[in-house]
Amino acid sequence: MRSIETGAHSQPFIDNRALMLRAVDLGKTFTLHGQGGVRIEALTGVSLDVERGECVVLVGPSGAGKSTLLRCLYGNYLASRGSIAIRDAANDGQPVSLTGAEPHDVLRLRRAVVGYVSQFLRVIPRVPTLTLVAEPLLSRGVAQDEARARAAALLARLNVPERLWTLAPATFSGGEQQRVNIARGLIAEHPLLLLDEPTASLDAENRDVVADLIVEARERGAAIVGIFHDEDTRHKVATRRLELRPPLRQ
Amino acid sequence: MTPLLSARALSKQYGGRNGCRNVSFDLYPGEVLCIVGESGSGKTTLLNTLALKTAADGGSLHYTATHGEKLDLLALSEPRRRLLMRTEWGFVQQNPRDGLRSGVSAGANIGEPLMAVGARHYGDIRQAATQWMERVELDASRIDEFPAAFSGGMQQRLQIARNLVTAPRLVFMDEPTAGLDVSVQARLLDLLRTLTSTLHLSVLIVTHDIGVARLLAHRLMVMQGGEVVEAGLTDQVLDDPQHPYTQTLVSSVLPV
Repeated sequence: MRSIETGAHSQPFIDNRALMLRAVDLGKTFTLHGQGGVRIEALTGVSLDVERGECVVLVGPSGAGKSTLLRCLYGNYLASRGSIAIRDAANDGQPVSLTGAEPHDVLRLRRAVVGYVSQFLRVIPRVPTLTLVAEPLLSRGVAQDEARARAAALLARLNVPERLWTLAPATFSGGEQQRVNIARGLIAEHPLLLLDEPTASLDAENRDVVADLIVEARERGAAIVGIFHDEDTRHKVATRRLELRPPLRQ
Repeated sequence: MTPLLSARALSKQYGGRNGCRNVSFDLYPGEVLCIVGESGSGKTTLLNTLALKTAADGGSLHYTATHGEKLDLLALSEPRRRLLMRTEWGFVQQNPRDGLRSGVSAGANIGEPLMAVGARHYGDIRQAATQWMERVELDASRIDEFPAAFSGGMQQRLQIARNLVTAPRLVFMDEPTAGLDVSVQARLLDLLRTLTSTLHLSVLIVTHDIGVARLLAHRLMVMQGGEVVEAGLTDQVLDDPQHPYTQTLVSSVLPV
């Protein structure tokens, strides 16, 4: 096994066994080469520690960089400045530095540690709903029968009608697709969850179900960072808030 | 984990131009790596060089064989290279007719690679061919028909069966979905996605289709003018492209 660069990050993770994520002085600048090299500051100087059992809710006006921060934490966006360290599931819980990690290591982290739920389902042609939801479990080596049973239970809890389970979700309504997406994101019980408006297009009843699932994940010991547009859900799930402000733009 | 395939500063030029230059990467077991870029960017040259179909001019290329033996591919003897291609590698051509033998039946097309690695029992070979036809969603009752009797999409699936029947560890694919209509493409993509994950295959795919790359690949390499200009996780490269060319490539995709 290749040694993973941990450097200055490892000490806080040794001192605090509950620490799952540490981001220090993060910044993100987009450079649009096609448009004369315009630079857009999306995020500056954000630092964040998240422990097991915590749910940090990101608040701030549109354009404050909430989604950008989540995407940086997932490795979907490359952070332009600062560092991100995440506690690994393997290697005796040594942290992995996400900034500068090999794609190979990021993939492993995503399988075992970091889960991400956005408001949009990326539909895969022809794959039935139940298979789609069971997939994260199968990729972690859970047996077929158990994975499908757990997927079924979660879909039922999210009020996705059973007659839809054998269909590919391409034709589902927005709310149904979103609930399939949530099921897929939560089923593997990742110890670190990043939630980008998972309740955006849900009715009140389903929003409550999702809020309950998030609280259960938190009480199970997951560390959560999330964006929620309604105050009701925030109030239910949050243990702490982090206020983001739009960076000053030139 | 040890990489399956390791390239360092690999180059192949045609008369000092075109081709590919200075390509380095590691491919790990079970990983699907897509090479994207416009035509003329050198992606097919790179694939052919990696698959030892064309000789490299410079750099190094190493492969970890089944029993952990590390092979220097650029110094491999011809018999050893042929053995590797028969036993551990597959190559899916863009045009199925280049990868199939038109003079023998569908069943024989799947059975031949098995015979080449030592299978001799006719009944077993036929049974394996039947199973593989079903696995790639072809009507197994057509096992004795010639490839020309199948449609383009079916021929492509037949070619995939021919390549996977020997349980290779590394499969090269050159635009496997190009030239197929969209509904057939979706079916083939889903099939490839399922097969690569259930068989734990390592795959190198060349494509100019960003949608194909997003669906199948764990990682991307973006090529322009013979060089890799950007590489990384598929969703990261497509959602946060850094290089001007990648930004153009991503923003040129028509939204559906």
